[in-house]
Amino acid sequence: MIVFLARRLALLLASLVLASVLVFLLLRLLPGDLAQVIAGTQATPEAVAALRERLGTDRSPATQYLDWISGVVTGDLGRSPLSGASIGGELAEKLSVTVPLAVFAIVLAVALAVPAGILAAALHRRRAGTVISVVSQIGIAVPTLWVGLVLAVVFAVQLHWLPAQGFPLDGWDEPGRALESLVLPAVTLALAEGAVLLRYVRSATLEVLHEDWLRTARAKGLTRTQALLRHGVRNAALSVVSVLGLQIATLLVGAIVVETVFNLPGAGQLLVRDVGNRDLVAVQSEVLIISAAVLIAGFTIDVAHRLIDPRLRGAR
Amino acid sequence: MSALRRLTGLAALSLAATLALTSCGSDDGDSTGNSGRANPDATVTVRLRLEPTSLDLTTVAGAALDQVLLDNVYQGLLTRDADDKIVPALASDYVVAPDGLSYTFTLDPEATFHDGSPVTAADVVWSYERVLDPTSTNPNKADFTKVASVTAPDEKTVRITLKQRDSNFTYGLTNRAGVVYKKGATGLADSENGTGPFTLEKWQRGASLTLARYEKYRGDKAKAAKVVFRYIPDDNAANNATLSGDIDALTALDPKLLPPYQSNQDFTIQEGVASDKLVLGFNNSSGPLKDVRVRRAIRQAIDKDGFIKSYGEGVRIGGPVAPTDPWYDKSLTSIDEYDPAAAKKLLAEAGVSNLKLSLTVANFYPSLYAEYVASQLEQVGITVQIKSVPFASWLDSVYTKADYQLSIVDHAEARDIANWANPKYYFRYDNKAVQKLVADAGLAATDAERDDLLKQAAKQVSEDAASDFLSGGQIHTVLRKGVEGFPKNSTSSRLNVVNLSKP
Repeated sequence: MIVFLARRLALLLASLVLASVLVFLLLRLLPGDLAQVIAGTQATPEAVAALRERLGTDRSPATQYLDWISGVVTGDLGRSPLSGASIGGELAEKLSVTVPLAVFAIVLAVALAVPAGILAAALHRRRAGTVISVVSQIGIAVPTLWVGLVLAVVFAVQLHWLPAQGFPLDGWDEPGRALESLVLPAVTLALAEGAVLLRYVRSATLEVLHEDWLRTARAKGLTRTQALLRHGVRNAALSVVSVLGLQIATLLVGAIVVETVFNLPGAGQLLVRDVGNRDLVAVQSEVLIISAAVLIAGFTIDVAHRLIDPRLRGAR
Repeated sequence: MSALRRLTGLAALSLAATLALTSCGSDDGDSTGNSGRANPDATVTVRLRLEPTSLDLTTVAGAALDQVLLDNVYQGLLTRDADDKIVPALASDYVVAPDGLSYTFTLDPEATFHDGSPVTAADVVWSYERVLDPTSTNPNKADFTKVASVTAPDEKTVRITLKQRDSNFTYGLTNRAGVVYKKGATGLADSENGTGPFTLEKWQRGASLTLARYEKYRGDKAKAAKVVFRYIPDDNAANNATLSGDIDALTALDPKLLPPYQSNQDFTIQEGVASDKLVLGFNNSSGPLKDVRVRRAIRQAIDKDGFIKSYGEGVRIGGPVAPTDPWYDKSLTSIDEYDPAAAKKLLAEAGVSNLKLSLTVANFYPSLYAEYVASQLEQVGITVQIKSVPFASWLDSVYTKADYQLSIVDHAEARDIANWANPKYYFRYDNKAVQKLVADAGLAATDAERDDLLKQAAKQVSEDAASDFLSGGQIHTVLRKGVEGFPKNSTSSRLNVVNLSKP
């Protein structure tokens, strides 16, 4: 286990370094110039050049990379040259919306997908199973954007149960209203993610249904349901946990769409805005922190995998 | 492009659903407004589309900053009233010397900064010298090009001397360059110490900006206790927010989204004009568009009335001047009138056939702009390839490098005809006669003389087909019943909310 952990940690660090280089280089390929964006279309070319020098965007890419990464390593992400705001502070503020949204959504998605997926597998030859499959297929096909708009129209505009958009002005200082404003976005995300997850749960369960050990369990006198719940679910959980790890990344992409539809001041919106403004100094730190979060989640899932599956514990 | 269109289609579908649902649920009968009873404790919420990237007017460009900060939080010596007339703000009065080379301003003795300290001539001198500094990166530095010096003969008097007469100087003073900061002010990116009727209470980045009434304001105080600007870039989210009661006013709304409000008793719609000129830019210095016959053919091939009708708002302009500018001349709309047959003839004369042109356009504009132009040009045998790019890319390729053939840009700034007198501007249009007319207009002794010269310049620009002008700005504002005092004109560039109120 120790060797496994050490090996896995080294891999994590290498991935982080690689991610930082990739993020830095890819952003430099984007056409556009922050100095011109700041100065606008009325500014003189001399003023733009002066600004470029002040921002340091006229330095060599290597110098800029080292300057940035040494700040990141020491925990100082610096300030956005455009807004003057602390990049770390702003990202933390936005993540205080996005992280609860993502957690809320993933919990809902699991609560929805796991029972429905097992049921769909158990009943796969019957009509009910087919109905669940078809519904999940529709869930995958319908765009998140549209689901969000429809939910907003029904539950906010018509029924006035929940806010149509936005986050309270005082944020989490109004916990009730803050939670309320996350309900529709989280349901929207959960429907999309849950539909995908349901497919995996269903096929993983179907697979274990045909395993020899499940037949043995039934031969020992367990009913099909008992065998499935006692032995099948734990085995099926292995592949589902791996899929969940992968879904964290797609969840972030979904969050960008949902934050736009519901106008939530989250990390997705922040990224879109900063990329649009070519505020590369801010974007590269934001992307790196988010990639780190995904990589660390992957690492955690790997470790969790080991803990769930005793067969893997001895392996390296 | 097709993915984009698909999203728009879906959005339209959901809007239709909203429409159908609201029209049957909104007649609660209580819409007899009690107008005129402004509640002094009210908070009025206004939806805006674009958020400022910073609050620092001295370094960061963008109409989103001017829109909320000018007049409300910050003021200059002069400002403009609802009819676009230049009127005093921090100056109570001013005198222009007969030679037009010196301006003497008397400061309003009651004027204070939000920290309570009086506004002095030293503050004005400090603020203006920052703009004039050779290393200054003020986006509106050009407004002070003719300034020779700024001095303070006494504590409440400011004298500005010019190197040359400048008929646009007082107008420039009403914009950003003229804003007065407290001497030594810092931290402008996220805090303020202005002189206007509102203080900045809170800026929640990515969501909203809240202004609160400045109780010690010297003049007429703000009617509402607070004005909250909520930044909602997506039109459908804004619609839902308004219909569910979160928003009191929406301005510069896409005309396609107006119908649900037109048929809803709870809202009124206000119409105004704006300084915007929707320009089809030509690269005058390279490729097929170097030939004036090709440019004229393109102008004749595009039906501007049809464009305004299918977009849903706008006015005909015909030249580089919006109806809000004093030198607007309606007769320019008759130059190169819509005539596809004549366009084809001109193209044949120019010896071009099977012309293929690229149209580079920033992706935040409605896709209809580019699609309309492309379909009209197709009728006369010109194939247009639309390149929709992010604004930062547009700035780089089109604006800075002039690496383009056609582009569509909303030139929102008022009184910006000088762009057509600058051969380095992205149009790369170089006509010495126009440049002289614009320069002479700057030196004109009277407004009438200036306006006459600029009318001649505008006519020449149009006759040279330096650009095509799809439409001039029109603004629709949706107000919840009882909301009053919302400005009518040019609300995207300047939004004075001192009189905004609700019952």
